[in-house]
Amino acid sequence: MKKIVIIGFIFLTLLVSACSGQESKKEIRIAEQYGIAYAPVQIMRHKAFLEEEIPGVKVSWEQMINTAAIREAMVADKLDVGFMAIPPFYIGWDKGMDWKIFTGLSTVPVGLVASKDINSLKDITNDHRIALPQPGSIQHILLSMACDREFNDPNKMDNLLVTLSHPDGMNALLAGSEIDAHFTSTPYLETELKDNDYHQILSGEEAFGRDYSFIVGVTTKKFHDGRSDLYKGLNRAMAKSIDFINENPHEAAEILTEYFDLPKEEILEYITSQDTNYSNIVKGTKSFSDFMHKTEYIYPNLIMI
Amino acid sequence: MKNKVYLQGYKLKAIWVILALIIWESIARFSSVTSLAFPSLTLIGKALIESIISGEIINQMAFSLGLIILGLIISILLALIMSSLSIINPIVENLVDTCISIFHPLPGIALLPLIILWIGTGYKAVVFIIIHSVLWPMILNMVAGFKAIPQVYKKIGRNYEFSTGKIISKIYIPASLPYIIAGLKIGWARAWRAAISAEMIFGATGGKGGIGWYIFNKRVFMDTPGLFAGLIVIIIIGILVEDLAFGKLEETTIKKWGIS
Repeated sequence: MKKIVIIGFIFLTLLVSACSGQESKKEIRIAEQYGIAYAPVQIMRHKAFLEEEIPGVKVSWEQMINTAAIREAMVADKLDVGFMAIPPFYIGWDKGMDWKIFTGLSTVPVGLVASKDINSLKDITNDHRIALPQPGSIQHILLSMACDREFNDPNKMDNLLVTLSHPDGMNALLAGSEIDAHFTSTPYLETELKDNDYHQILSGEEAFGRDYSFIVGVTTKKFHDGRSDLYKGLNRAMAKSIDFINENPHEAAEILTEYFDLPKEEILEYITSQDTNYSNIVKGTKSFSDFMHKTEYIYPNLIMI
Repeated sequence: MKNKVYLQGYKLKAIWVILALIIWESIARFSSVTSLAFPSLTLIGKALIESIISGEIINQMAFSLGLIILGLIISILLALIMSSLSIINPIVENLVDTCISIFHPLPGIALLPLIILWIGTGYKAVVFIIIHSVLWPMILNMVAGFKAIPQVYKKIGRNYEFSTGKIISKIYIPASLPYIIAGLKIGWARAWRAAISAEMIFGATGGKGGIGWYIFNKRVFMDTPGLFAGLIVIIIIGILVEDLAFGKLEETTIKKWGIS
């Protein structure tokens, strides 16, 4: 009998601790991601802009390995804020996730790098292999957009794709055996282009047709509706971080050396490059959603957010 | 009599499964969890049927099984050669022992970054990981089996003046078959795990990536019912191989010969 009581008590405490929500606490749980495209997030963390805008807030930085993990954590209600490209956002939306884009973050150079014997998309045959991060990623959608424009067939290259992370893809391309082209972004793009055997045959902007937001900030509707005080503070802190990086690139580059494994000069070069743009304006959502709808990556009628 | 016990075992198992399915469905229907995390059986069934009809899941499964069978065959041959040699020659035995101590504790997935650099990312890399996962436990089992053979059998072989090759093929292998089959079972289970994890990381080449890639792809597109469809197919294949293939193998060999 005593045992049953103890077990029952343990269950009850577990249940209570599992159900006690975050509602009462002033807490924001943010995904921690690294890269030039995410630089304002690192600045926000380093300069404690969130704590400055929302006095008394507790910020939890959660390590997340990729976009899929961020989405899953948000479904499980373990994360409030994350950063990703627009296509993965729409895939989640399409599958019933109730979430929003709350800010634009960055546009960085994105491009398809190929060996010198391939001069344009037309030169890519069925024997070539193209590496990119994963199906449904922004790189994949951009490639589909280019194929749609060029060949009127968005799925033309889908059977040539090899799923590899950016660093693995770069190694595989430069090794020169299996991979003939790599759709990637800063700083892997620049590193690959330094090698004279490779050149860029398609840029993200050419594929998309005009400029667009590469990374945007996303949050759950629950957070937006339930904690509007935190949500507003988050937006202010985000804007402040973006302004900081635009106004003080030198200081920002200095800070970022603590987070990236790159020398200061190189970081400065990337963040001040003409093709890199930090802005909280969200660009390109409509074109992405129209295209993904047309090509059946997503199904329902989307309302503009 | 024995058959009846078996049948009852199966009936009981079926009852457990049905019970689990009922609990699953009621959680999916009556609790507040989102169908993204916990899809209902109808959704999962629909995803499963759709991917069977389109042939996608069958093709990917066939691809994975092909890689596993290839890996298993190479591993069995290598294991046979290495264990036979180590039974004959103590120096080889020492070498094989050393290799096992070094490589057996090393998970294939930990070798992934190296394998990408050395072999690349295609199906060869997956087969390499499968062989690595299967070979070492297989050798351990074979050598243990060879060592457990009663002296009398070996003496009979020598009495007939069998050559070394004949002693191995006529006496060592049949007499240690229970060990070899146990090794095969472990090998199969490890090959299965290794293949799926490798496929989930390597991704597909030309749309063919196996069942691991199928699941990875469903995850990327947030298709949770499709993800479960992949898991169900994996479970079904697992049961079929365990119960039918290995059961049959044991029945026609060691049970029939009375050495199990």
